[in-house]
Amino acid sequence: MSRRYDARTTIFSPEGRLYQVEYAMEAISHASTALGILAKDGLVIAAEKKVASKLLDETQGGEKIYIINDNMICGVAGFTSDANILINYAQTAAQQYLYTYNEDMPCEQLVQKLCDLKQGYTQYGGLRPFGVSFIYGGWDEHFGFQLYHSDPSGNYAGWKATCIGANTASAQGILRQEYKEEGVTLQEAKNLAIKVLSKTMDTTSLGSDKIEFATLEHKDGRVVRRVFNQAEIEALLKENNLLTKTEEAK
Amino acid sequence: MDTLVSKYANAASAASFDTADNLGENLAGWDAANEFALPAFDIPMVSNPVDFLRAHTDASAENRIRIQHGTTTLSFKFQGGIIVAVDSRASGGSYIASQTVKKVIEINPYLLGTMAGGAADCQYWERELGRRCRLYELRNKERISVAAASKILSNMVYDYKGMGLSMGTMITGWDKTGPQLFYVDSDGTRMRGERFSVGSGSTFAYGVLDTGYDYNLSVPDAIELGRRAIYHATHRDAYSGGSINVFHVKESGWEFIGNYDVGQLHWDYQAQPKGPIS
Amino acid sequence: MDTLFGITGKDFVITAYDSKAVASITLMKIGEDKSRELNSHALMLFSGEPGDGVHFSEYVERNIKLYGIRNGIELSPRAVASFARRELADSLRSRKPYSVNLLIAGFDVKTNKPALYWLDHLASLADVPFAAHGYGAYYCLSLLDRYHREDITEEEGIKLLDKCIKELRSRMILNMPDFVAKIVNKDGIRLVQLGGN
Repeated sequence: MSRRYDARTTIFSPEGRLYQVEYAMEAISHASTALGILAKDGLVIAAEKKVASKLLDETQGGEKIYIINDNMICGVAGFTSDANILINYAQTAAQQYLYTYNEDMPCEQLVQKLCDLKQGYTQYGGLRPFGVSFIYGGWDEHFGFQLYHSDPSGNYAGWKATCIGANTASAQGILRQEYKEEGVTLQEAKNLAIKVLSKTMDTTSLGSDKIEFATLEHKDGRVVRRVFNQAEIEALLKENNLLTKTEEAK
Repeated sequence: MDTLVSKYANAASAASFDTADNLGENLAGWDAANEFALPAFDIPMVSNPVDFLRAHTDASAENRIRIQHGTTTLSFKFQGGIIVAVDSRASGGSYIASQTVKKVIEINPYLLGTMAGGAADCQYWERELGRRCRLYELRNKERISVAAASKILSNMVYDYKGMGLSMGTMITGWDKTGPQLFYVDSDGTRMRGERFSVGSGSTFAYGVLDTGYDYNLSVPDAIELGRRAIYHATHRDAYSGGSINVFHVKESGWEFIGNYDVGQLHWDYQAQPKGPIS
Repeated sequence: MDTLFGITGKDFVITAYDSKAVASITLMKIGEDKSRELNSHALMLFSGEPGDGVHFSEYVERNIKLYGIRNGIELSPRAVASFARRELADSLRSRKPYSVNLLIAGFDVKTNKPALYWLDHLASLADVPFAAHGYGAYYCLSLLDRYHREDITEEEGIKLLDKCIKELRSRMILNMPDFVAKIVNKDGIRLVQLGGN
């Protein structure tokens, strides 16, 4: 039955569903995890990197966490190739805003801009929706630190802590349990992020090569982004006593 | 522009040859009647139409044929509404093209527009304004305000700014908020006011209008002030003259008061004592 | 030519424009508004080519207001000025550029600081403590250099403006009738009565 409504994204099924959009979300739920946690004095975005072959040359940077503006970073889950298109679009939009207003684009506007594009692909004929979800973390002078999530349908929402990709249910469970009502400090958020990753990742060995990690802070009137390198991630793992034996032996 | 001038040159010379006699002696296959019939419009009654036109045309895209530049128009608010008074001369340089121009354009029964600058520009755009005001009425089931109407006009001509439009107009009328008067010109200027005069004779009109003005003027006195201000402007400004048209804008719409020949008016005013200076 | 003034103080900007509307040698009107409120805390004053000022400032005003409606937040005075500059700069490279000189006075509610921006018809933008456009600038910039302090109060600001207007009245051949003054501060934009009038 559903096949008749698969071919085009623009057609509702009799049950009122857009299958292509749902399939896109399904694809994301198989992708590696990315999560974000909002802290009082900053925020964390962390992600699990699935392919970690020794032969893979990673000098050109990660594929799960991206910088989209001076005041904003994001984590992705889904098709990296699709994500590249959207991230490029977001980076351009942010620079265009800077060009007109000489000010950083407010976070929510950038998220909304991206979601408008994603929405278009759920309505205009014959095109496949983008198979990616994002977690955005940013700071602006209007609302301070902010964390957003957006999905292939073009919906977005603000969160204190959230997660996309595989094992979201268990990750969300831990976040719900551990995230304090009154908010957390950046240090606590970092530890929590590592903890969640360690519990949701499929591999038994948790190493710096399997994780991408970034923080965002506001210091002396400036936004400070920090994308961790391998050594820094290793240190973070060590702090949390999560470094596996094989890693420690190295 | 040369092509245009030469076209008129042919037309003028053709007109002098165009007698019944030589029309009959046609060469075979050459349809002279059709050939000569083309320029059907009137030629200015001057000794040399080519020279005349050359003086009123310009090679540059701006300022093409620009007839009727000189004018005196005025409009003012007073206790009894608004008086609009205008002259009726159309001139092109030193040539008087007409003495009977209607320079008050009746946009609709509640709106008047005056005409200074290019006659065609004023007529065309104020007719277009009338069309838009009617559409507004049909769509909204109420009359457009004078403020909105004048803004439409100002926006329309602003789109053509720098392309040679020439228009200086006063839009008057009575709407929900009472009597309203706006000045709009082809620069894109639009302003609300109590008292305006536009055209080459405006300075002369202002002189009489400003000194004789009082908001509490009675209707007959206000009409007389408007008429007199235009008369004095036509007397001093060579580009203004003909006759004076006076309108009175009231709550029930505008009313045409009358047409007064300035020649006649001149002797009437001469016969009147000027009275004491208060 | 129209004269515009802008003076920043401790927690406000005071602006003024002469309210004359002139067509060649005729004074058409006194009391013409040469300013537009772009949002609750930003005011634009304009002078220059007749028609252009009103059209450009209203165009900017509509865009700034639309931004507020769409995004639920207001643009800062700096962003407003940058936007206006960009529009003017783009127009400058078009078939028919806007020919307007501008002052943008604002109060940044985020930083609690007054802001004054000076823009000319070639789209130069300058962040200044005080500014003037038109012939009035030739008389009053020196005066403002002499008396202006960063921490003046509103009363001092009004007095300083009165000094400027008095100087124009006594030295300029053109008749300088009514100036209209507006203050932008944390509470928004308001008209002020000048002592000299």
